[in-house]
Amino acid sequence: MKVLVSVKRVVDFNVKVRVKADGSGVETANVKMSMNPFDEIALEEAVRLKEAGVATEIVAVSCGVQACQETLRTALAIGADRAILVESGEELQPLAVAKLLKAICQKEAPQLVILGKQAIDDDSNQTGQMLAALLGWSQATFASKVAMEKEKATVTREVDGGLETISIKLPAIVTTDLRLNEPRYVTLPNIMKAKKKPLETLKPETLGVDVCPRLITLKVVEPPKRKAGVKVADARALVEKLRNEAKVI
Amino acid sequence: MSAYTAPLKDMRFVLNELAGLAAVARLPGYQDTTPDTADAILEEAAKFATEVLDPLNYSGDQEGSNWNDGSVTTPRGFKEAYKLFCEGGWSALSLDPEWGGQGLPKLLSTPVTEMITSANMSFSLCPMLTQGAIEAMLLSGTAQLKKTFLPKMFDGTWTGTMNLTEPQAGSDLALVRTKAVRTGEHYLISGQKIFITFGEHDMTSNIVHLVLARTPDAPEGVRGISLFIVPKFMVKPDGSPGARNAANCASIEHKLGIHASPTAVMVFENAVGYLVGEENKGLAYMFIMMNAARFGVGLQGVSIAERAFQRALAYARERVQGRDLVEGTKAVPIIRHPDVRRMLMLMKSQTEAARALAYVVAASMDFSLKTTNKEEQKQHQAFVELMIPVVKGWSTETGTEVASLGVQVHGGMGFIEETGAAQHLRDARITTIYEGTTGIQANDLVGRKIAREGGVTIKAWLAVVSAFEKKELAKSQSADIKVIGQRLAAGVQAVSESVDFILATAGKDPNAAFAGAVPFLRLVGIVAGGWQMARAALVSEQKLLDKASDPGFYSAKISTARFYADQLLSQAPGLAATVTSGAASVMALAEDQFLAA
Amino acid sequence: MTILVIAEHDHGALKGATLNTVAAAQKIGGEIHVLVAGHNAEGAAKAAAQIAGVAKVLSAEGSQLGEFLAENVAALVVSLAKSYSHILAPATSNGKDVTPRIAALLDVQQISEIIAVDAPDTFVRPIYAGNALATVKSKDAIKVITVRTTGFDAVASTGGNAAVEKTAAPADSGLSSFVSREVSRSERPELTAAKIVVSGGRGMGSGENFKLLEPLADKLHAAMGASRAAVDAGFVPNDWQVGQTGKIVAPELYVAIGISGAIQHLAGMKDSRVIVAINKDEEAPIFQVADYGIVGDLFKVVPELVEELKRQG
Repeated sequence: MKVLVSVKRVVDFNVKVRVKADGSGVETANVKMSMNPFDEIALEEAVRLKEAGVATEIVAVSCGVQACQETLRTALAIGADRAILVESGEELQPLAVAKLLKAICQKEAPQLVILGKQAIDDDSNQTGQMLAALLGWSQATFASKVAMEKEKATVTREVDGGLETISIKLPAIVTTDLRLNEPRYVTLPNIMKAKKKPLETLKPETLGVDVCPRLITLKVVEPPKRKAGVKVADARALVEKLRNEAKVI
Repeated sequence: MSAYTAPLKDMRFVLNELAGLAAVARLPGYQDTTPDTADAILEEAAKFATEVLDPLNYSGDQEGSNWNDGSVTTPRGFKEAYKLFCEGGWSALSLDPEWGGQGLPKLLSTPVTEMITSANMSFSLCPMLTQGAIEAMLLSGTAQLKKTFLPKMFDGTWTGTMNLTEPQAGSDLALVRTKAVRTGEHYLISGQKIFITFGEHDMTSNIVHLVLARTPDAPEGVRGISLFIVPKFMVKPDGSPGARNAANCASIEHKLGIHASPTAVMVFENAVGYLVGEENKGLAYMFIMMNAARFGVGLQGVSIAERAFQRALAYARERVQGRDLVEGTKAVPIIRHPDVRRMLMLMKSQTEAARALAYVVAASMDFSLKTTNKEEQKQHQAFVELMIPVVKGWSTETGTEVASLGVQVHGGMGFIEETGAAQHLRDARITTIYEGTTGIQANDLVGRKIAREGGVTIKAWLAVVSAFEKKELAKSQSADIKVIGQRLAAGVQAVSESVDFILATAGKDPNAAFAGAVPFLRLVGIVAGGWQMARAALVSEQKLLDKASDPGFYSAKISTARFYADQLLSQAPGLAATVTSGAASVMALAEDQFLAA
Repeated sequence: MTILVIAEHDHGALKGATLNTVAAAQKIGGEIHVLVAGHNAEGAAKAAAQIAGVAKVLSAEGSQLGEFLAENVAALVVSLAKSYSHILAPATSNGKDVTPRIAALLDVQQISEIIAVDAPDTFVRPIYAGNALATVKSKDAIKVITVRTTGFDAVASTGGNAAVEKTAAPADSGLSSFVSREVSRSERPELTAAKIVVSGGRGMGSGENFKLLEPLADKLHAAMGASRAAVDAGFVPNDWQVGQTGKIVAPELYVAIGISGAIQHLAGMKDSRVIVAINKDEEAPIFQVADYGIVGDLFKVVPELVEELKRQG
């Protein structure tokens, strides 16, 4: 069974992002970039499926600028067998990425596509579901457990208030939640081996996909700063404030 | 507690712009070291250091390793971290691919080791010692010994130790008394060894001790010492650990720092040992490995300095105390105060200088090992020999100083263990002592590396620095770099005068030459570091002119180099005065004049 | 402009998130329809009809909608979509599951988790885990949106009187099926992962007194923590410790009870979104970082707080 995993290059989760002074976005020049953590979980799951003898080949795909090659090399070092970069300098929004991935899925015919549930930069949480829709495949989002069978998969999902288990027909899309697994550390020998694994570069045009952004970002600002603290009279006033002002309960 | 963040930007800058990673990658056998591979390795090592090792640093210090009835339990998490370390293949980064190493250049293993040590110095000692033991066996072990032990030591299944010191034989190994009596194919080893790092622990199923001992008919002194392999468990024909050997851990030391690293007292009672190489040549083998070991400890100075700096910086940005001198009214984070800035800059600039020097020396080690050009080989070898005591002595003294400044930045909280600042100072403190004290490094520099060869190598180096200053720095348009150039020229002059003094006195008045050895070592370190900072500033100026990305990094580099020139290089003439005229007073008192009343 | 709001419900009753989503729809402006897709969901449909400001309720019934499987719900919404300028769903796990599927089928770039409406085509949404707020404008004909419920005050659940109109649901896709559901275990969340943390300090006086905090933590589904002083005094185990040498937490809400706020403790919790302090010492440094403070005896205030939480539901 072939498994396809999509990986995104994002600002490393340890970096405290700074909003650009001109409000055009956040500062991404000269900051550490890494693989989106949820995608790392997706890849780890694929590698485990291969180690368990369920998956036979893992193809990692990334859509974006040329530097995404680094992320794909990491994917190859973690255990992908080969990699595809869809290279584009355009801002790729989830719908565009889903269309690119659809084109690749039609070429590669995987039985399972695993994606992170969301990227930690735009926090959209869309690509997997969109890809499933475009392909007309089943979907299981926010997976915390995946059990593969012959024609289907049983997936436990993290939903509001608990866990839900569904059965999905293959081919299918699974998006990963945090607790699905704990990704391994890349080993040095595998970094060296990754150099020799194939990495193919495609263009959106060759795949026949229009990637024009549909959303225009007008401005990006910092969230409002924390207000100065106040003393409240009693428990009643506190609960009222927490509920209606701070909105945390 | 602020987490360790690997200084990847500075590491990459030093690797590529100062130490010449591209040139090293052209050496035979190092072709795999492409920029993207180097990057991937650094990133993954950084991740491992930050996520796995750093979280165990403070708890490891608090818990320490514990001895009970001959067994040693390492702190919580160490065993698991060690397993991950080995699985990651980090144990054999620059070792021979023939036995399962990755065969990467020293220049690349150096930043990796720096990160691992910054994150957790106690932990880093175990692989470091194992590597030392491996190198000794590679150097002179028989094919059979290599086959038995090396594969398991390369992948970290077993660890190694170095058993040199005895209670009466510390810096002076001529006094080693441990006995080795030949019985058939092997020897029976008896005696006591102390200060054995990771001499006993619970992380692996076997431990391979390398032990210095004397055969019954060996000559007195350093020429009568042989090297033996003594495994904790005998190795069965199938390669698995078998019967327990009579090599036991009698206790572990209670130390000032590196608490998680068990420092064992080892007792050998007719333990089975196998000769490494030839009888009576043990110390010679040790000397061959000495450069690597001393370099490794020097690098620990850089590592601790980096970690202490990061912690102090995080605290200084957060701790609100006192008003801004200019703006007044509101209490501000202490990083706004000039003296705190001064301390942070001292930490930052010296750390960067020591890092640059260490990496440049690492690159020369690669050249001395792999280049096919004889002349080039000789030059690099000579430079390495000259700089090893400097990297070891100066970087560790600097690391300790920086760790102490780290405590100072924290104020009263620095004296409280909870901030972690104190641990760095305690951990740093051993680095100026083991693997040859600073005094021994300085004596090595003055005696073996300068006086014995008439100062040829150091003069050649000074000529290089001087030419760089006159031909390249002088061309700069930057006012900062012009000042750096002047200070560097004065530094070269100071070293030069001191070298002349040493050459003139070493033969006829050795006390005079050696009394100033440590100040001289500091002087050479400061100037060598200043040389690298000047090179860094010049590269940065060009990068800014070329409109390279990340101008903030490069302008900070120039300012940091300028600070170093003003605050450190400026000390050079004073140190030269100490070296050339301070000796008499050092030795002036009669011993009984030290006694009070 | 007509807006379709996809209701969040459990068939029998409507869930609060629907009210916040209707509120967002009101900010956009236009006629608001609510879709209740479910199985035997008359109760929810009726409740939706009562929501203030709702013009029409669409009720889609069918066993294939019983578990809100994304494939089936998306097919239903897409069949209705052409009548609407906006399709909104709350950013609940159901909403997040189904909405992108709808958007893709309509060839629309969805706008996720909006927290404000600037114009009918322009919205504010958090990115980088809330460290930045982006204002985005959609070029698509239909806007498909998920709504972060905390960004919009709920509309009144009563006062409306909308007509309930039945609508046909497409047949089961056959792609996926529901197996089982496991409602969250009542045990406490892990300290570093919890959305709310209730911590006690030396002011608790004893380990026994920490029991006082349990009802509060239960009520808030909070993890329990402690200051080093409380750990050192032996009140609670070491792994409860929040602070420089303990766990570093950054929950949505951190409630510090009887904690003075030593710098080592602040280092472990200062990044929490909202900090509440309860301490009898008015000068305690914890009040300098607290968003809300109560100066008072914790043994009196904490039980009152629990009562108040129960009372205000």
